[in-house]
Amino acid sequence: MNILFILITPFILAVLPGVVKKSKTLGILNAIGYLFVLLCSLWLILKPGLSVSPFKLFYIDELSVFFIFTISIVTFAAALFSIDYIERDIDSLLISRNKARAYYTFFNIFSLSMFFVPMVKNLALVWVAIEMTTLASAFLVGFYNTKASIEAAWKYIMVCSVGIIFALFGTIVFYYASSSVGVKNLNWADMVSVSRGMDKNLVKIAFLFILVGYGTKAGLAPMHTWLPDAHSQAISPISALLSGVLLKTAIYVILRFTIITNECAGGDFSSKLFIIFALISLGVSAGFIIIQKQMKRLLAYSSIEHVGVIFLGFGFGGAIGLYGALFHVLNHAITKSLMFFGAANIIKKYKKDNMNIIKGVISSMPFTGAMFILGMFALTGMPPFSIFFSELLILMAGLGSGLYLASGLYLFFIALIFGGILFHFSKVLFGSKPDGMEDAKEGVSVKVVFVFLFILMAVLGLVMPGFLNKIIVSSVAILEGA
Amino acid sequence: MSMYIFLIGIIIMSYSMVTAKRMTSLIASFRMQSLFLFLATFFMAMKEKSVELYIVAGLLLLLKVVLIPKFLSDIVKKVKMEEGIGLFLNPLVSLLIAVFLTYISYIFTTRVIIFEADAQALSFSASLSVTMIGLFIMIFRMKALSQVIGFLVMENGLFLVASAVSGGMPFFVEIAIFMDVFVSVVIFGIFIYRINKLFTHIDVSRLNTLRR
Repeated sequence: MNILFILITPFILAVLPGVVKKSKTLGILNAIGYLFVLLCSLWLILKPGLSVSPFKLFYIDELSVFFIFTISIVTFAAALFSIDYIERDIDSLLISRNKARAYYTFFNIFSLSMFFVPMVKNLALVWVAIEMTTLASAFLVGFYNTKASIEAAWKYIMVCSVGIIFALFGTIVFYYASSSVGVKNLNWADMVSVSRGMDKNLVKIAFLFILVGYGTKAGLAPMHTWLPDAHSQAISPISALLSGVLLKTAIYVILRFTIITNECAGGDFSSKLFIIFALISLGVSAGFIIIQKQMKRLLAYSSIEHVGVIFLGFGFGGAIGLYGALFHVLNHAITKSLMFFGAANIIKKYKKDNMNIIKGVISSMPFTGAMFILGMFALTGMPPFSIFFSELLILMAGLGSGLYLASGLYLFFIALIFGGILFHFSKVLFGSKPDGMEDAKEGVSVKVVFVFLFILMAVLGLVMPGFLNKIIVSSVAILEGA
Repeated sequence: MSMYIFLIGIIIMSYSMVTAKRMTSLIASFRMQSLFLFLATFFMAMKEKSVELYIVAGLLLLLKVVLIPKFLSDIVKKVKMEEGIGLFLNPLVSLLIAVFLTYISYIFTTRVIIFEADAQALSFSASLSVTMIGLFIMIFRMKALSQVIGFLVMENGLFLVASAVSGGMPFFVEIAIFMDVFVSVVIFGIFIYRINKLFTHIDVSRLNTLRR
């Protein structure tokens, strides 16, 4: 039943702007709605024995629940952060009141399509849901209707559409492979059950198309070209959603196909591909982070890095690697959202995005500055924050399976990126604030968002809650084909 | 036999799109290609006496032969663009590349994927080549609108792939994909209007506000 609640809430919230005229009320209702969704997904985790769903359309197992939970955390944070952000945009005449209402509609269509992805049983409908996420978020990328943002949106929609066509081709070939052994419905569970009988070569070709296609959406280099533009031009709460969870929905779909492929052709094939694409992503992002000038673009490239880390974990495999990669999915979603919100506050205050010009954030905005500096350390993998532990697990998996070169490169790139991010952000954070700038006062809702994300980020680094551990362990078992 | 005629029609229409110099002729060729695709599906429906296939064929006719080309022509009229489609490579070179893509698809199909029937292999390679030609149009034509048509050609190719290898996807999947493509095209159109308004042109190669 709570699956339905999770889907109905965004749906109701999407039509609400037709009734409620005041944007602040809308924002508050929106945040309350997503708090409810978060509670529903928490209940989904806690309730034992969930895998059977009352509806034919859905297939919910632990892996889906884990991704639903991740999405609900970030959507809640983004909804809460939007209230203040949108009001300030209206006050500074960046957007009209009508446009603010349109924002909440698109926000909810976008979230709805993202929640749909891990729930749907049929792999072709998953494809439709992924395309819907692109279409809904394109409006949010081009929200300010400036030359730069429309260009970013066009690039986003075109590159991802080509990617998605490749993914559809892969899906069709998978369909052909499974229909020749008797399963003609594209349902994931049925396809897994006959995967051993499928033609190995066919499945390998199909998987390659799936990886390139959905990998485009997941932000794997070298198909990542849309990502820095879209993430930096999107309205900031949406940047967090794009980076924190949109990429993860694409990863989820790739995982579903990986399970079929591994059953059919052995795990070696997908592992090698994952490691290669992951290392390219790490290398590309390291290079661009070092030469970066804009804050949001830097964070976008850092998303490519973390997607690389996640795929490296899946590539290294073994229970430890898979556990680390899934844990990293959650950690990156939390930490990156916090960083995008911090960057949003800073950019709003200084009215520019260039890291060579912004100075003295700590003294001009103490709260955001403090959160930003903690987030920076968390993002670069410093203990005791959660990303440190997931990255460590992935490193252990790499060393454990004897992949020394890949592990070495992984460490090398992580270190480079650590240096790059520290260099850029310390310029922004320290120094004296510009003359005549008043100290910032963040609203209560904004502070709540930061504290919420910070607590998650710090607590997950110290203790692993039992329910979360259980869901990740079960997901690992699903990935290993148990 | 009629099936082969339609297949040849579909391929020839993709060549004609590759060599087209003006937007109106590009759209006309796309409409022709979709018409051949409709005929192929319609004949298949008659052969198999399947109601679902008739519905799919009907949707194909409605969306890809009537509505989408109409929508695209409206855009051409409203944005008052110059007729050229922004050739990046001249028509002759493009045609050579397109023929080469067809050849590659054939090699790929016969060497890599083993089909039970020759007819199946032939239609698979044809549809694969249509998909690749669509990708070619997306990459090497610089107008936003021609990229949309490239996307649609790729989608046509995939529709053909699906019917070639397995007699089409499950019914409700086909319907969902149709709806999805239609919504996509409408949204592409909205963005083309916006690009035209902001930049006063829709030449994608000249969109370069964003660097690195």
